[in-house]
Amino acid sequence: MIIKASSLHKRFRDVVAVESLDFEVGRGRCYGLVGPNGAGKTTTMKMIYCIVRPTSGSLEVLGMNVLDNPREIKARLGVVPQENNLDPDLSTCQNLQTYAKYFGIPGPTAAKRCHELLEFMHLTDRANAPVPALSGGMKRRLILARALINDPDLIILDEPTTGLDPQVRHLIWDRLLDLKERGITLLLTTHYMEEAQKLCDEVLIMDEGRAVDSGSPHELIRSHVAPYVLEIRADRALTHDITVRFDYLEHQTSGQNLYFYASASSEFNELIDAYPAMERLLRPASLEDVFLKLTGREIRL
Amino acid sequence: MSKGILSVTPVFLKVWQRNARVFITLWKFNFLPALAEPVLFIFVMGLGIGSYINEMEGVPYLEFVAAGILGSAAIMQATFECTYGSFFRMRIQNTFEGIISTPVSAGEVGLAEVMWGATRGLVNSTLVLFILLALGVLEHWQAVFIPAVMFLAATNFAALGIIVTTNIAQMEYFHFYFAGFVLPAQFICGTFFPVSRFPEAIQIFAWALPFTSFIDITRSLMLDRFSSSLLPEALWALGSTLLLTEMAVRSMHRRLVT
Repeated sequence: MIIKASSLHKRFRDVVAVESLDFEVGRGRCYGLVGPNGAGKTTTMKMIYCIVRPTSGSLEVLGMNVLDNPREIKARLGVVPQENNLDPDLSTCQNLQTYAKYFGIPGPTAAKRCHELLEFMHLTDRANAPVPALSGGMKRRLILARALINDPDLIILDEPTTGLDPQVRHLIWDRLLDLKERGITLLLTTHYMEEAQKLCDEVLIMDEGRAVDSGSPHELIRSHVAPYVLEIRADRALTHDITVRFDYLEHQTSGQNLYFYASASSEFNELIDAYPAMERLLRPASLEDVFLKLTGREIRL
Repeated sequence: MSKGILSVTPVFLKVWQRNARVFITLWKFNFLPALAEPVLFIFVMGLGIGSYINEMEGVPYLEFVAAGILGSAAIMQATFECTYGSFFRMRIQNTFEGIISTPVSAGEVGLAEVMWGATRGLVNSTLVLFILLALGVLEHWQAVFIPAVMFLAATNFAALGIIVTTNIAQMEYFHFYFAGFVLPAQFICGTFFPVSRFPEAIQIFAWALPFTSFIDITRSLMLDRFSSSLLPEALWALGSTLLLTEMAVRSMHRRLVT
């Protein structure tokens, strides 16, 4: 096992961030942590890369205990943090070389590696650019390149594609799948269920520090929601009207959106015929439906 | 596992190098402004006010005040680097969190920051030493030991700076540190006139601050005057510096690894 957490707890003074968490990640897998903001995903990741110490429970990474061997563990990890922490006073290439030094990689090897990684992340023509001159997408790619400088066995990605345009997002997805093919283990958090569904072999849904459920995206969808979803957008009066009339169908309301679930699309026929003019979308169920079902559709206050 | 200096490995030098690399990239912005204060002091205190003072402790005023100006140049630079500079790296740029995600430990970041602040203090005060040399203020060969004393004084204040930086919630608290400690220390520790001019209570307080010992040692080297009080002064200067550095390293660990 690359990661093995059992009854993992983390408390910050009087706030419980992670509670009784158990999960395992095998070699070469892509494992996703999803959950609303404040669910404990980042804290869990920080415990894995040894900058947050577990309060209790055990956490083994690459066969070593995080409390006993942080240096040895970190030597084999690549970390893409949620917040951009590139060195703004150094160039693209210098950022990579500086990190290579922290890993004890000798200069000539670092220079070669830097060249390869910039090519891998499509940043070669930006090698000497100062960091503030890079776009948001380039900075994110550079952080990913930096996480690869030590040829890691496990890469930890905290929201790797948040705020990026679709082109960059697809490039990052392609690169992550490349890395996975090479046998590197990936642990990622994301708020994009499409991303989790596309990349992850297994997903752990967290809420308020606890695991809600886990499994492959496919399994999660199958066990929590019906395979077909009819999304309807309507005003309050119409929403009320529809929900009263079709109460026998499984449904959920979120603001002006109504979601009906069914095991066959034909079950929606009567509803669609009754309101032919309404704005609607019939689609297969996704991980997002599971996520919203398990963690609630309403905004938390 | 120890979290103090004893747990630190030479990899801390890589973090020091990172700071040096950035400093060299931005040298135009760093070098000359840091010299402005000591140069002003030489002109205002030494040559300006000094022209109204015949002698202080038996030497021309500029020769007396030179040790204070050197010491101030060392500690102010170290203090700025390890307060605003370190705070910026830690909280605004998140540089430290990135570094400790690699095999580098939080304690190593702490020691690297202290050593970097000390380096800046050393560089700044050594430049001032050359200016004093050019002005003909240095007359004794013992002055070659002054940079070592300056490095230690700068380490002392760099470590204090890191302790403050790693324990405050927001940058504004530095105002209290500067107004309540750094500035008074700069003036009451025998920098511009002898500590013996103060009432006894303040004298005791002044001697409790290691900076007074650093200034006295520097002045002794500069004027070739040695007394038996120098040994305890040297022990206090060295001991307090080691203690503060150990505290700074531990404090950085507490701050970064939660």
